[in-house]
Amino acid sequence: MTTTQTKPSTRRPDGHQPVRPHGTTPLYKRERPLWMLLPGGLLMLAIIVVPLLVGFFIAMLDLDQYTLRQWFSAPFVGFANFTEAVTNSPLLHSIWISVSLAVLVTAVTVPIGVAAAISTQNRFRGRGLVRSVYLIPYVLPAFVVGTFFRTMLQPQGVVNSVLHTDVLWLNGSASYWALAGVMVWTSWPFVYLLSLAGLQAVDLEVHEAASLDGATWWIKLRDVVFPYLRGPLSLAVIIAILHNINNFTLPFVLFGIPLPSSVEVMPVLTYIASFQSFRFGLSAAMAICSLVIVAIPLFVYLRAVQLDTGDDAGPNRKQRRADRAVLAAPAAADVEGARA
Amino acid sequence: MSGYSTTRTRPTATLTESITAPGGGRRPKRPYDTDVTRLLPRWLLVTVIAVIVAFIAVPVLYIVFGSVNSDVAVARGEYFPSEFTLANYADIWSTVALGQGLVNSILTAGAVAVCSAALAVSTAYVLVRFRFLGRLTFLRGLLALQSIPGTLLLLPVFVVFANIASATGVQIIGTRWGLFVTYLTFALPFSTWVMVTYLRGLPKELEEAARIDGASSTGILMKIVLPLSWPGIVVSAIFAFLLGWNDVLFSTIMTTPNTRTVAVVLQVLGTTQEGGAVPIYGQMMAASIVCALPVVALYLVFQRYLVGGLTAGSVK
Repeated sequence: MTTTQTKPSTRRPDGHQPVRPHGTTPLYKRERPLWMLLPGGLLMLAIIVVPLLVGFFIAMLDLDQYTLRQWFSAPFVGFANFTEAVTNSPLLHSIWISVSLAVLVTAVTVPIGVAAAISTQNRFRGRGLVRSVYLIPYVLPAFVVGTFFRTMLQPQGVVNSVLHTDVLWLNGSASYWALAGVMVWTSWPFVYLLSLAGLQAVDLEVHEAASLDGATWWIKLRDVVFPYLRGPLSLAVIIAILHNINNFTLPFVLFGIPLPSSVEVMPVLTYIASFQSFRFGLSAAMAICSLVIVAIPLFVYLRAVQLDTGDDAGPNRKQRRADRAVLAAPAAADVEGARA
Repeated sequence: MSGYSTTRTRPTATLTESITAPGGGRRPKRPYDTDVTRLLPRWLLVTVIAVIVAFIAVPVLYIVFGSVNSDVAVARGEYFPSEFTLANYADIWSTVALGQGLVNSILTAGAVAVCSAALAVSTAYVLVRFRFLGRLTFLRGLLALQSIPGTLLLLPVFVVFANIASATGVQIIGTRWGLFVTYLTFALPFSTWVMVTYLRGLPKELEEAARIDGASSTGILMKIVLPLSWPGIVVSAIFAFLLGWNDVLFSTIMTTPNTRTVAVVLQVLGTTQEGGAVPIYGQMMAASIVCALPVVALYLVFQRYLVGGLTAGSVK
């Protein structure tokens, strides 16, 4: 009687867990080396989480270069920095520029990326070379891309001399289009990579069914292939918008400080407020306002990524598939992040 | 894996052959070798590839041509060099401290790559193989932290470092250590996530067998997990390296002339000389190529791993 009362705890009600000998703990609970989390966890706490909180605090201070080292004693001004950022600074203007640029650039890169992916799907002589070439704009560091486009777009530069025009690409209103063009040039291969993965998911049987039915290439693309791309492409669009909004390096290198006002994007505006005009409090308030803008695509993205895959009970086929779908997302996100 | 794919593709391959090649009987074709999967007519395929390759090649070849051209000719707007010279590649080293910048970048980014891969693999091992309170919060934190824009953190990190310096007398801003710690931390969330997804794909059975043989968790990590996960480790190390190499935001603020990374040195080359009579465009192009070469070489060598790491089975 007593034995039957102690035994049931070793078997789970759902029956997934094999019966274990009495008294043993499951593998995932035994001798957990949790100390291994400490170095990484502490670093992230000290260099990301603490500064984030400090940033929120600074946004409520009237902080300049003289009070910086004793920032605790700087005058507390509450939400005055936020009010100034919204009513009396170029912040709203630069939010508009950043968001419109990000949407415009992403919209242009999608068709290029999809066309590129479709063009290398089938084997042909030299396909490996073409695929490597497609990745070149993505591989080049953003500060290098900015440097040579800056040279090309000079008033006497090669762009104007080839086009026989006299446009000031690095000043005035044309700079918006110059920045958009360069951003398109460097960022489309990201869409290409995710579309390529999406194309590979189209089953051979689907291709065969389409050609048995005599579908022409356009019908086949529109009705058979594009629906497969919807998932990876919407992911690509979210991540691309996120990183286009956060892009600091390209406008910074392309135009230098001060930026022409038609390309005064949020990240550079925040940077100028702190390290050119030394209005640290105002800058922190601007950064937090821009975080609110970024939070919208970020929230969608975090919702789309599945965190846990239940690897405790041994993932089943469906879970494994979901797991792999998760894989592409953050990986792709951070390559962009490393470049921005 | 290979067993899986052959059993799966064999019937479809024969079906495909019966459609496309009635003569049949040759070696079984792999999917995507066949005409059935062709999406574009040939003329359109050639056009698309030609347009995209030209779109990429025109600016890229411009850097190459500009780097062997004279400054004046580049400033005039020449595309093809009228005179060929390699002097730019010789001059860049003395015009600015490009060599010092390369050393700083390689030391910082290289150390970041090694350390972040080591921390990532041990952290990911615990996150994937053990259950504990706060595990899901940790995973969620990894995703959220890697999406925080750097411009938001630049000022607070600067303030924190400045305060540590005034409190303890240890200078951080301006040193390679300061950059190293910053890049390492920003690389960690992503590197760890790459390893989490990689380790999830490894079979547990080997580790369980080792555990039955009496191995400790640390022993299993060192002797079983580590040797099996080199592809994942390479990907996370390279992405960490690129983060350090490509950064401009932190390195413009947190370096002195002696600790400048190559990204900042290139900015110095580009901005300080433009006040002179002729901007040194030729040298800028040559220096750009020098800055890009290590990164391009890394990509070419590890291309298969990297593209796989980006998209590995993303949809199916």
